Amino acid sequence: MDYLITGFSHVLNPITILWVTVGVTLGYVLGALPGLGKATGVAVAIPMTFYLDPVTAIAMLIGIAKGSGAGSAVSAILLNTPGEPSSAPTALDGYPLARQGKAQKALKMGLFASVIGDFISTLVLIVLAAPLARYALLIGPIELCAILLFSLTFIGGLAGKSLIKGLIAAAFGVFFATVGLETETFIPRLTFDILELDSGISLVPMAIGMLAIAEMIVQAGNMKKLDAETANMYSKGRKKEDNIVTASDWRRSLPAIFRGTLIGSIVGILPGLGASVGSFLSYGATKKASKTPEKFGTGMIEGIAAAESADNAVVPSSFIPLFALGIPGSVIAAILIAAFVLHGLTPGPQMFQKQPQMVADIYAAMLCASVILLAVGYAGQRLFSQIIRVPIRLIIPGVMFLCCIGAYMETSSVFSIYVMLFFTVIGFIARKLDFSFVTFLIGFVIGPNLELTFRQAIQILDQKAINLIHHPIAIIFIILTMVTVVWIARGSGSSKRAAKAAEVDKQTKTNKEGET
Amino acid sequence: MSLSMKRSIMGTVVALAVGWTGLMPAMAADYPTKPITMLIGYKAGGQTDLVGRATARVMSEQLGVPINVVNKPGAGGAVAAAGLQREDADGYTIMFHANSVINTAPFLMKRVIFKPEDFEYAGMITAYQAGLVTQKDAPFNNLAEFVTWAKANPGFSYGSLSPASRMTMDQISQKEGLDVNIVPLKGGGDMINAILGKQVILALSGGIHNNYPDEMKMISALTTFRHPSAPDVNTIEENGYPIGMDTRTVLILPKGTPREILDQLADALKAAETDEGFKKIVATANVPIMYFDVDASYKEMQDSYTSNGAIMKNAGIEPK
Repeated sequence: MDYLITGFSHVLNPITILWVTVGVTLGYVLGALPGLGKATGVAVAIPMTFYLDPVTAIAMLIGIAKGSGAGSAVSAILLNTPGEPSSAPTALDGYPLARQGKAQKALKMGLFASVIGDFISTLVLIVLAAPLARYALLIGPIELCAILLFSLTFIGGLAGKSLIKGLIAAAFGVFFATVGLETETFIPRLTFDILELDSGISLVPMAIGMLAIAEMIVQAGNMKKLDAETANMYSKGRKKEDNIVTASDWRRSLPAIFRGTLIGSIVGILPGLGASVGSFLSYGATKKASKTPEKFGTGMIEGIAAAESADNAVVPSSFIPLFALGIPGSVIAAILIAAFVLHGLTPGPQMFQKQPQMVADIYAAMLCASVILLAVGYAGQRLFSQIIRVPIRLIIPGVMFLCCIGAYMETSSVFSIYVMLFFTVIGFIARKLDFSFVTFLIGFVIGPNLELTFRQAIQILDQKAINLIHHPIAIIFIILTMVTVVWIARGSGSSKRAAKAAEVDKQTKTNKEGET
Repeated sequence: MSLSMKRSIMGTVVALAVGWTGLMPAMAADYPTKPITMLIGYKAGGQTDLVGRATARVMSEQLGVPINVVNKPGAGGAVAAAGLQREDADGYTIMFHANSVINTAPFLMKRVIFKPEDFEYAGMITAYQAGLVTQKDAPFNNLAEFVTWAKANPGFSYGSLSPASRMTMDQISQKEGLDVNIVPLKGGGDMINAILGKQVILALSGGIHNNYPDEMKMISALTTFRHPSAPDVNTIEENGYPIGMDTRTVLILPKGTPREILDQLADALKAAETDEGFKKIVATANVPIMYFDVDASYKEMQDSYTSNGAIMKNAGIEPK
């Protein structure tokens, strides 16, 4: 605690605060631009961190991570083009809200949920990093495999309207995840002798193609209708409560925020899950807990709260295994290791003993970054919300351009742009045939770890299923998975009837094209 | 069709570009007059990337021109190396990488067909300290004790990160008749998880175990030399298995780069050996500095390519 107070005194100087603000702003703006995101931000920032002192450099990188997590909600809500896959569930309800003229309300809710999730998760990191990381080690491959299976089933069943279509999309996601060299034996799978495919299909260009470009094509086909809607939105006069988060919005959203923060924090600690799994699980859980699950996807404010709080809670808690054990829990965490080493810090159990003050300084900087994020985001959402007034024909070329840059930057090769275009086609077809590209993405993200942990589990169990009895956590999740399948299968019949009823209710049927 | 067409068009463009610059006289004496691009075949943020960036900074100071680091990941560096082959041999595009992309990858991957003589080398700077590691409280301290323990505990788990690490355990278990479950692991982070979480009793570490002196110990070094960070631990060859393989970071250049340029780069690289900032970074990462000049690194590439090839062939590993 003393360390933390000293930490604040180290961090609260103009230079450090300036760089944290630069990091948060850079992350927020890059996150808000479709096609660009964390990956781009970090690529820009790494060379810069060479010239900063350790705490400032690390705080800036963390600021980018936090900022881009919150910023990616902006493009999801305004344009239905999530900046990162983890913001895809935000778009499900955020975009309908924006089309109803409630863009600022949606943006503010997204920002508040992001900051609350981020702040609480940072506190969890500070208080519990060391003991929690030790406990997380008990979650080995066997338990992880069961958890992944459960996540895939739960999300696959909830994201779309049809369980079968959802699971088909998830299976396709897993299928595309198998492309590349097998992890341990280096046997090439489905690479067709293209060397660039050896390390697999990269998530960034693929997500950009599926989420952003495919959506732009759909909107291009829908241009007249969208512009008419926009004109209509501003002619009929605007109510103040469409621009702010009202008390009743808070009442509806707070439980979702806390649930999302909890889910995000847990998902962050576990290896191999990631922010996308966190935000989808949280969205699904909130939908399940709601009294009116059939209304999700038409502009439910708690949907945004659930997705964004979990998305941002994952970031700080993914640093727990990094700080306590030196194990990177996310892409940003892996980059941070380099920043640590660069400045003479060895991430791992010894960091707390050898450099407690340095760790406390970083914690203090992270808390400051949360507050700065609130300020930057609040200013930013005002500015960005004007985008919705711009005619869609002017937006599409700009988005396409940014997407190409974002895809190219990750690998510095044109091949990524081909990958992006390939998945644009798949994303377009999926939208037209009403297959959930969201479950596809989750299948893709989880796929490699599902396969790896399954193989690890078989070996660790000595190829005998009976040895599972020593792994109660795994058994619980296997049972949960089976319960989920039965539950969703039974529920899908009744939700189909509800969906039919909703079709009749023409008023809720706004812009069916954009959502899934 | 369009892809192959684009390929051939690009090939023509590249060929034209090469032909164009080929007309100009090689101005080795003025080298370098413009920024140098340094390719790294891993994603940003890894250990090799880090050492590469630190190297770029030292060399940039020495040569007086900026060195721009470009990460071009894919196939363990093979994508970047293949790209390097298409660049001009003028010393303005260099690659910093683990030499395993040339001396090991071709024996594991059928489509990687590099040979040491396909490139030029401007020196080596650091070595990887690969070894077999276990929990600190494991009931054995060296490979012989491990074998005794393993015979009493059939069905134990070994963590493997690559065909080479699987080969290491296969060699030991075939000779000693051990019953082992090989658990596939994805990278160093996964390995730490598996060892600290006691999922496996033994695993191959590329050197990261040095960050965990209170939790892990090494029972055998998989290199041909004893590790500077653990000089008391025997190498695998001293243990009686002739399968030691060394990996070093090396500066790779396109074939045909003039010797003067190579020497100039190697001299700049040598400065890293005594640079305080560089020493601090590699010390934190527990990476030993072992500088080789142009001739020594060419010889090392040839020797390690031959010996690694023999080890792989002996173990029955076919490129896939």
